[in-house]
Amino acid sequence: MNKLGKLGGTAALAVAVLATLLPLYWLATLSLKREVDQFAVPPLWVSFQPTWAHYSDIFVNRNFGRYLWNSAAAASVSTLLALAMGTAAAYSLARRPRPGLAFWILSTRMFPPVVSIVPLFLMLRWAGLLDSIAALMLLYTAFNLPFVVWMMRGFFQELPPDLEEAAMMDGQTRLGALWRVVLPLVRPALAATAAFCLVIAWNEFLFALIVAQTDQAMTLPVGIAGRVTQYEIKWGAMSAAGVVAMLPVFLFAALMQKHMVRGLSLGAVKG
Amino acid sequence: MTQIRLERLSKRFGATLALRDFSLDIEESEFLVLLGPSGCGKTTCLRTLAGLEQPDSGRILLGERDITGLEPRQRDMAMVFQSYALYPHLNVFENIAFPLLVRKLEAPEADRRVREAAARLDLAGLLERRPRELSGGQRQRVALARAIVRRPNAFLFDEPLSNLDAKLRVDMRAELKRLQHELGVTSLYVTHDQAEAMTLGRRLAVMKDGVLAQVGPPEEVYSRPANQFVAGFLGSPAMNFLAGRVDGGARRFVSGALAVPLTAEHLERLGDGAPVTLGVRPENVEVERQSGDGWLPGRVWVSESMGNENLLVVEAGEYRVRCRTAPEMRLEFEAPVWIRFRPDRLHFFDTSSGRALWP
Repeated sequence: MNKLGKLGGTAALAVAVLATLLPLYWLATLSLKREVDQFAVPPLWVSFQPTWAHYSDIFVNRNFGRYLWNSAAAASVSTLLALAMGTAAAYSLARRPRPGLAFWILSTRMFPPVVSIVPLFLMLRWAGLLDSIAALMLLYTAFNLPFVVWMMRGFFQELPPDLEEAAMMDGQTRLGALWRVVLPLVRPALAATAAFCLVIAWNEFLFALIVAQTDQAMTLPVGIAGRVTQYEIKWGAMSAAGVVAMLPVFLFAALMQKHMVRGLSLGAVKG
Repeated sequence: MTQIRLERLSKRFGATLALRDFSLDIEESEFLVLLGPSGCGKTTCLRTLAGLEQPDSGRILLGERDITGLEPRQRDMAMVFQSYALYPHLNVFENIAFPLLVRKLEAPEADRRVREAAARLDLAGLLERRPRELSGGQRQRVALARAIVRRPNAFLFDEPLSNLDAKLRVDMRAELKRLQHELGVTSLYVTHDQAEAMTLGRRLAVMKDGVLAQVGPPEEVYSRPANQFVAGFLGSPAMNFLAGRVDGGARRFVSGALAVPLTAEHLERLGDGAPVTLGVRPENVEVERQSGDGWLPGRVWVSESMGNENLLVVEAGEYRVRCRTAPEMRLEFEAPVWIRFRPDRLHFFDTSSGRALWP
């Protein structure tokens, strides 16, 4: 009975894994298939003639190198900014609580982003920031900031104030205590929060769409959507771009995995 | 000059007044213990001295210098926390070296001093370990080493032994006393443990509700408590209290059915008919199996053998009187006994104010 249950569990897991991985496999193979093979019936699971044509198409004929760079710049700069400012705010909120303030900070993320599009567009136009990566950095920073504050505040609250008080007694300023004692201790939390911000900014579509008017500020998600044109859908190019967009996040997540798991469970076990 | 003077400190947290007009002097190289029940403000007092809290009013003087508004680092005091507060991401060596690092001490000198402090506290073999790989006692030693690695203006101890198990606590207590004696650094030690309070300090300050109840050498505070609170707080088992009044004509103290004979000195000090509370420590209650002149009859309510002594609760009149007797005195429940309060060891307190009237 027990053996049977275990077998059933394994089977269920196998189905779940397959359901998760199949679309990825399909995307990856699609990006390597010639157009005639793309919609062959029955589908060509393995036996197709691979081609790099779609990859060279997006990087040579289309400006995907630029999009990739734009996405990376917007995501990384905004993540760093949000992390730096949000961590400082979270620390002060954790140590000098202002009732309700943390909630109001988070509440800025409770409305659907689309309602802010028109005012944001007008503001950006007024500031001369339309069609610039700087605008995206600014927007993503602003929109990730509440999450950083909220997440990091929780981690700081888990940390006993004794440690930074000890550091201050040992001769540090409060800032020195934060830098030398507190931040090293919440490194896993910082990693998890950074990954969170990075993924959100990397995949963001709506703001990127209204900011980008030319290739100058075009990011990957908008660029990929642009392969759906009025007359045709460039499945091969879209798939190739999709793979290109996924890889960095995938690598980052793999690199950070150790930290992230600790970050997500930080505070669950008192050290 | 490292005499410390706390002058009329007040500190309020919301509705509670943690310190009210609190003044205390700590002499140079003195080991002063601050004792009190939880919530009496003793930790606030320590943290205010450390600079981790700012008083609402009052001053703190270090020698001649007013340090009231200074940051903790500008006061140069070392603190040992109840939780040890070791830096988990640093090993033992780095933990001890941390205060020196901040002071930009040259590496060979810092290294020498860390090893010296570590050797003094038996940590020489553990320098590479992380705090989580240490036992509670070892962690406490690291915290102490981190405090003594430099020569601070003062040591501040915030219940440093209360997380240790009983046996280790007694060992560390003696070690700590020796350490402070050797280093001669002015120390303020906060605790709610009266054994620590009695044994460690050259002087003992008892706090209650944000004010100083009494300060003096431990033996004096124990034998001549200034008020009923101090009398009841120090000593285990606690002092017995009997509320009653003085009967001048019969030359005795009367409480319900109980009567205790008084001397002429007592009567002169207490006055006739005054409502007073008699206090007597358990070790000053004599217990016998036979009746005697002026002895009070009672029954054993419970008897606890401690090996080296017997703790007895005797039901006499409406009171349960705690007594400490020789271990040979084995008594069953309900056994009839007679008790007497040693006349030269009586305490009397004003019943309404709690102020000590005698001795």
